[in-house]
Amino acid sequence: MKPAGIYIHIPFCQAKCAYCDFVSFAGLEHLHAPYIQALLREIELKSPAWAGIPFDTLYLGGGTPSILSPAQIGHLLEACRRHFQVLPESEITLEANPGTVQNWLPWRKLGITRLSLGIQSLHDDELALLGRIHAAQEAIQAYTAARAAGFENINLDFLFGLPGQSLRRWQETLTQALELAPEHLSLYCLTLEEHTPLARQIAQGLLPAPDDDLAAEMYELAEEMLAKAGYLHYEISNWARSTGESEGELPRLACRHNVKYWHNERYLGLGAAAYSYDGKHRSGNVEHPKDYILRLQRGQDPTATSEETDRQRQIEETMMLGLRLLEGISWEAFSQRFGEDLREIYAQEITTLAEEGLLTIDELGIRLSKRGRLLGNRVFAAFLH
Amino acid sequence: MMERSDGRIRNFCIIAHIDHGKSTLSDRLLESTGTIQLREKVEQVLDRMDLEREKGITIKAKAVRMFYDYPGDGQRYELNLIDTPGHVDFSYEVSHALSACEGAILVVDATQGVEAQTIANLYMAMEHDLEIVPVVNKIDLPSARPDEVAEEIEALLGIPAEDVLQISAKEGIGIDDVLKAIVERVPPPKGNVEAPLRALIFDSHYDTYKGVIAYVRVVDGVIRPGDRAMLMSTEKELEPLEVGVFTPDMEPVEELRAGEVGYIATGLKTVRDCRVGDTITDLDRPAEEPLPGYRPPKPMVFAGLYPVNNEDYGALRDALEKLQLNDASLVFQPESSVALSSGFRCGFLGLLHMEIVQERLEREYGLDLLATAPSVEYQVLRKDGEVVVVDNPADLPPPEEIEEIHEPWMRVSIFTPQDYIGPLIELATSRRGEFERMEYLDERRVLLSFLMPLSEILVDFYDQLKSRSRGYASMDYAFYGYRPGDLVKMDILVNSVPVDALSLIVHRDKAYEKGSALVRRLKEVIPPQLFPVPIQAAIGGRVIARATVRALRKDVLAKCYGGDVTRKRKLLERQKEGKKRLKRIGKVDIPQEAFLAVLKLGE
Ligand SMILES: Nc1nc2c(ncn2[C@@H]2O[C@H](COP(=O)(O)OP(=O)(O)OP(=O)(O)O)[C@@H](O)[C@H]2O)c(=O)[nH]1
Ligand code: SF4
Ligand SMILES: [Mg+2]
Repeated sequence: MKPAGIYIHIPFCQAKCAYCDFVSFAGLEHLHAPYIQALLREIELKSPAWAGIPFDTLYLGGGTPSILSPAQIGHLLEACRRHFQVLPESEITLEANPGTVQNWLPWRKLGITRLSLGIQSLHDDELALLGRIHAAQEAIQAYTAARAAGFENINLDFLFGLPGQSLRRWQETLTQALELAPEHLSLYCLTLEEHTPLARQIAQGLLPAPDDDLAAEMYELAEEMLAKAGYLHYEISNWARSTGESEGELPRLACRHNVKYWHNERYLGLGAAAYSYDGKHRSGNVEHPKDYILRLQRGQDPTATSEETDRQRQIEETMMLGLRLLEGISWEAFSQRFGEDLREIYAQEITTLAEEGLLTIDELGIRLSKRGRLLGNRVFAAFLH
Repeated sequence: MMERSDGRIRNFCIIAHIDHGKSTLSDRLLESTGTIQLREKVEQVLDRMDLEREKGITIKAKAVRMFYDYPGDGQRYELNLIDTPGHVDFSYEVSHALSACEGAILVVDATQGVEAQTIANLYMAMEHDLEIVPVVNKIDLPSARPDEVAEEIEALLGIPAEDVLQISAKEGIGIDDVLKAIVERVPPPKGNVEAPLRALIFDSHYDTYKGVIAYVRVVDGVIRPGDRAMLMSTEKELEPLEVGVFTPDMEPVEELRAGEVGYIATGLKTVRDCRVGDTITDLDRPAEEPLPGYRPPKPMVFAGLYPVNNEDYGALRDALEKLQLNDASLVFQPESSVALSSGFRCGFLGLLHMEIVQERLEREYGLDLLATAPSVEYQVLRKDGEVVVVDNPADLPPPEEIEEIHEPWMRVSIFTPQDYIGPLIELATSRRGEFERMEYLDERRVLLSFLMPLSEILVDFYDQLKSRSRGYASMDYAFYGYRPGDLVKMDILVNSVPVDALSLIVHRDKAYEKGSALVRRLKEVIPPQLFPVPIQAAIGGRVIARATVRALRKDVLAKCYGGDVTRKRKLLERQKEGKKRLKRIGKVDIPQEAFLAVLKLGE
């Protein structure tokens, strides 16, 4: 049985960024402590159902997990290790924001193996536009400090396709990012989410709307620059530094936790708005930390939504997620999992997409073509019925 | 019957420019006379169709009987009210309503003043010799200018401004005065109860249980259920199963007598058999002369309606047949298009009518439809002397076979403050309009009259009129006649393939301008495809304008992690659904708006 992953959601931030529609709240400091208590209860509550299942990744995401104290996070990790079968050598990732941590040593001591820093841009005006709490210099300092504290696997998040951002400015950010030589880079094209201040400003004409064609060029520029700098592109928005050796199809420094999502494998989600998938049921917890805390204080299950995925659905989701990985989906893995030949059940879709130049087919399987990476939705949608 | 009013009857209709408050005034009259109870009060009770309620406009005329105790003589009067639509597409409904009445309440909005259709409807009422009762409505509004507007009416009608009632239909101010004025000023109907039956059909609708219901004004004689009757134009026999009045629901009565307005359940199966304007008479004792009728409304605008999914063709036919039961002005016949496969060419009274029919089909019958650009009906004289009628540009014979093309022209009346005369004349002449004359209605406002091809009016003329006059000008138009024009067919090629459903007929002098504007517009409405798509406008094989829809470069979700799966999946499903609503022509997905792009070229 493949080991599963644990995701813990920390829905707190120091301030809300202008583009953000994640479940995260600023100004709820008074809830931090009761939230940890609630998480500890949920861990206890969920442990029987996941007994006997080994876990080899743990991801602390948000929000901004680093807004909590190392001690608080320490309690959580300890509880996880006590109640779940967390394997040694597990990948333990902490999402952190520059500007929230002064001293990285206590974090390192918690056994966190991987750090993911939300930097987003290395231009102060862009950071201001995004409503980030830090300046470029602080971000770089946070990175160097974390390195100095002994973190050996660091991811940096960046955003491109910002309103008014030119190709040259994106290139500058990338150049500087590469100088930092992180192990991993996540480069996301900015998505304008409804009801965010940024989307509103654009709708009101206060900011220029991002240009899709330009964003496509930025993406291609990144692909080129990162390849030259020795990074392996392994998911639509993710790159890992090459270590020379390789672990199957995926780079060794790929985020193992996230790869579980793309392989449509099992994971246990803890905390407000966290999702779990046991291979059949997909369930999500209540979104607001207040409701989440209340439920657990009353000893209730925090699950708010739950759906069963039938076989057809599992197949479709496996396609939609798996094709995000550049390794694609292999004939072999698919037939092992579903006992059917991918070439048969999606014969028509595969032919059309290949003709359109969005999909590459070979003896191993199918994967997005270079063009398909920018037109992924066309491909994913084709596999949904 | 207790409520009998012993022949004290007044028949009147309410006419106005669109939105001046006819239906709202009807509400108040119904309430004041106790015809409807205040507690069942909804606004514009007579606007019963969902679409009417939603758009806030009246599409079909409605009749209602009320009783009113006139304080002047303490007697009870029967008042028959007909509410009419204001939009020009439905002005034939107004003309029908007028022939059933002796009087008309002319409503004028106190903030807008007299507008083009105020005048057009007024003239129509005067042609029918109706007594006009003018009222200024909406005096509750802060921007109301009731005295000024009363003077405009005086200038127009010669009725002293003091005699113009000032009311607010919304607030219920002055409603009693309106009722009094109806009794005092509108003459009672003349007719002869003893004479052979003559009932004028002024409207009809189809009722699932009772068949075709004819709305009638009985001019002479009496009709009772079970009487043997016939339609005078076709001598078709009727078996009136029921006669009654609208209150506003249908309420059976024992008889309808000369002077009264009501309905006859005719037992007919389709409204086409029961032509509006026809006279119903007694089979055994027929009248000698029918009542003066009117020409049935003639469709002026034609467009193809196609199901987005080809399988829905049969469902579309059924739906059109059902709609036609109630709407005699809707005509349709099967048509096929290379691009869109099978559908129907439909004839409409105007663009609003077209929009309404399309919306009803989509809504009431759950169809997903695609409408082609509306066309007028051309008369094409071929070299061999034959005249063919063309209502679809794709059917135009090849140029070498054409001697001459004739197109419908309208007489357009534009009513405007004098400040906008210049820009409006310029607008009309840029649309091939020929100036006829200008009349001052008072020192500020003028009535301009033009002759103009209907095809030029269809294309965004009204919006331009409004924008060039800052909303102050209004217009009305009526058919004038067919005239020859130097017209050519313009083909549109998408990805080098001619799309028949996009071809149009244009004036040669404007072909270049139109073609460039159209390809530019199509470039905007056709979403980027996987490859660049050239769009060309061509005349007789020669490309005169061209634009390119760029290739789609980016369409991908930046992230998808554990918690996102369901949400992202739904997003993709929605995107896929949206794509299904596009029509695939060759390799290109074309949205519905593309076919109507020609209507929105801007200037
Ligand atoms: N303030 C105010 N608004 C009014 C008055 N009378 C009507 N309205 C408003 O004017 C709008 C148009 O009223 P309708 O009664 O639907 O007008 P209509 O003339 O029947 O319109 P069509 O049937 O579309 O020609 C509605 O929003 C009414 O609420 C009034 O006396 N005062
Ligand atoms: S730090 Fe991240 S989660 Fe918090 S508000 Fe900003 S974008 Fe959202
Ligand atoms: Mg109305």
